[in-house]
Amino acid sequence: MASTAISKPIAHRRSRLYGLRDGVNWLYVLPALFFFCMYMLYPIIEVIVISFTDYKFLSSEPMRFTGLTNFINALQDPLVHKGLLRALYFTSIFLPGVIFIPLFVAILVDRVTNPALASLYRVILLIPAVIPGPMIFVLWRWMYDFEVGPINTILVNYLNLFTYRNAPQWLGNSPLTIPAIAFVEWWWGLGYHTMFFLAGLAAIPKELFEAAKVDGANEWQMFWNVTLPRLRPIFVVLVVLRFGTAMAVIDEYIIMGGFNRALPTYTWTVYMWHLAFNIGNWFQGYAAAIGWIGAAAMLVVVGLLFYVFRDRD
Amino acid sequence: MSSKKTENALLNQLRNGRLTRRQFLINMMAAGLAAGGVKVLSPASGFGGLAFAQEGRPLTPTFYEWIVSIHPLIKDEVDAKFPGGVNSQIAPVEGFDVARFVAEAKMGQSTWDVYVGMTPFVEMAGLVKAGVIEPWDPYIPKEVLDDLIPSIREECTVDGKLYSWPFLIDVIVQAWNNSITSKAGIEDKAPANWDEYLANSKQVVDSGAAPYGCTFDAHGWRSLAPITHSISTNCYYMLEGDPSGVPLYDFTSEPALQALEIMKRMLELSSANALQPGTTDGGVNLTPDEVAFGAQRVAYYVKYQNAPLRYARKWPDPSALRLAALPSGGEGATVFWTTGACLFKYGQNKEKAVEYMKALTYNMAIWKDSISGVPSGHHPGQLPPFQSIWDQMKKENPDWLQANPWAFLVLDQLKVAKAIPNHKYGLQQFIIGQPYWEKYLTGEEPDPKKAMQEAKDAVVAEMKKVGDL
Repeated sequence: MASTAISKPIAHRRSRLYGLRDGVNWLYVLPALFFFCMYMLYPIIEVIVISFTDYKFLSSEPMRFTGLTNFINALQDPLVHKGLLRALYFTSIFLPGVIFIPLFVAILVDRVTNPALASLYRVILLIPAVIPGPMIFVLWRWMYDFEVGPINTILVNYLNLFTYRNAPQWLGNSPLTIPAIAFVEWWWGLGYHTMFFLAGLAAIPKELFEAAKVDGANEWQMFWNVTLPRLRPIFVVLVVLRFGTAMAVIDEYIIMGGFNRALPTYTWTVYMWHLAFNIGNWFQGYAAAIGWIGAAAMLVVVGLLFYVFRDRD
Repeated sequence: MSSKKTENALLNQLRNGRLTRRQFLINMMAAGLAAGGVKVLSPASGFGGLAFAQEGRPLTPTFYEWIVSIHPLIKDEVDAKFPGGVNSQIAPVEGFDVARFVAEAKMGQSTWDVYVGMTPFVEMAGLVKAGVIEPWDPYIPKEVLDDLIPSIREECTVDGKLYSWPFLIDVIVQAWNNSITSKAGIEDKAPANWDEYLANSKQVVDSGAAPYGCTFDAHGWRSLAPITHSISTNCYYMLEGDPSGVPLYDFTSEPALQALEIMKRMLELSSANALQPGTTDGGVNLTPDEVAFGAQRVAYYVKYQNAPLRYARKWPDPSALRLAALPSGGEGATVFWTTGACLFKYGQNKEKAVEYMKALTYNMAIWKDSISGVPSGHHPGQLPPFQSIWDQMKKENPDWLQANPWAFLVLDQLKVAKAIPNHKYGLQQFIIGQPYWEKYLTGEEPDPKKAMQEAKDAVVAEMKKVGDL
């Protein structure tokens, strides 16, 4: 009996292996494998390789292996330090807003009992999410425009809180720049992130709330002890995903700030792009090394985030 | 020349698109190599495909998007009438990014034959160095070459070879809104020097005629360099150890320091956001000065001629626009640049490209629209780079030209204007240096010499860091 019991799973595994070895099955995997290798694996390997060389895109001279030189130089480059700190500053403003505002909105929308109204709110929330990125940035550039933007027009011409000599500068070399861009991101992602939390809220069994009510829990206690722990997987996904995207923002910075190194929008990603596609012979070996340093820094933080949000049950 | 050498020379010309398949065969026959020519062009040789492709693909120019959008006649007038047809495209060069061209050249190929949108001091040196483009000299007719305005020809030339076929001219001038200046009680004439310019600007602010007296574009090649040139063009230096042999802007030169001082005084009379980046092309275009001038909040303006022309069109009274040479700081020069076309080394249809560029750059309908404004309402404000077109316009002196006297004013500036040298860092030196000289403008650094020395050092340090020194 014992031998039969052991041989069954082995036989099952073998049959699965034979199944995979069957050419037809591999055919199904091939397209995904091809795209993974060509669009993910190959570029990653390529960037690893050139980061250890003096590869310059505009140079016709063959690239030479330079070992860790690019990494050592990048680690000592003040622009890399400043760029990483600027990105971290943006992330620290962006991340709480992109988590807690949608959470709050999701809880409100979840309470709407009228199905038509609930759908309407969801559609309204999703409108910014379907607008293409460049349009969003151009729209908000106009909103934030010092001279003709509606925000300053209201502050100066209607509320008379400022003059055009001391009106807020929302973009450029101003302490308001990073919060202003973070606000655009909150607005843009509000509907999208709210949907994550709505899905999470829908998955919480109603019986838990009923039981809590029977035990005399108030709304805050139910939120703290029932809702929040059940939404932890959503938190983990959003925090990790959005941390990565926030640290690696580039389009917004280039559109809103260009390449002036004094601006808070000149982060490590913009510096990397500037070096790789604008300056001199386009020293992409060095730019790749900066990219890896940024990626490594992000991986460390992501590891910490996973530790913080680890399952404690 | 031996027959083998002749065959190789002809083959190279065929491979580079200088000869069509038919011309190749005729030349081979003339050299007594007809059999070899047929053999080379047979599909089995592996060369036939290329030859067929050359004749099979129509001329494929690619444009920086803004050029096509401000000149609708390129499509309607030039492309539509070009013999054999044209497959005109929009270039993937947002923010002056020419990476795609370089990547293709590295593989010995090019999707396009000509790129219309290259500015010599911005990207030409890099494209030449990377072997992406080739000179026009073997193809361009001598009469066209000789027709180029000398300063423009010099700007488009590297090592004695013409790499850019110029199309559009930008010259930095001064503009002012006469509605505002007359309200401020200022005589309707151009300030002759910078002191007068600043005094008038102050009068505008003091009188309350407009919130700001003057403004400028914060990008160095559009303000710092032209104002420097108005003082002296002796503001470039050869950096020791720089293999390019092309001079860089000397931030610490006396005229550069004087220009920075003028900018600081201008900034006090400008909008508070004058140093901020623009909204398009990586902050380079749609800059705050354009917004302020378009919104009639400022009287005096330093920029290339077409910017005030475009924005004045939106005013209730566009005739209030005035243009003049930059106020003189001594030498009375300014900065100019052209936007032109480069010929892809691995492109095809080289002769056709020449014919196309001739049709494009000599098209009088385009120049009429450019100078007098297009029917849809906007004003390209660009000018032709060929002397014969100017001679013809002078001779005919049509009504639309008489109504736009600024055209000859800008042309006159070319006699004294100087282009920023075609260094790989021609444009980037101003981007790298900007945060440092701006410290003086904003008051963060009280010593202009120190600020400019830091700007100069930053450019050299960058060149060292990326191995260009």
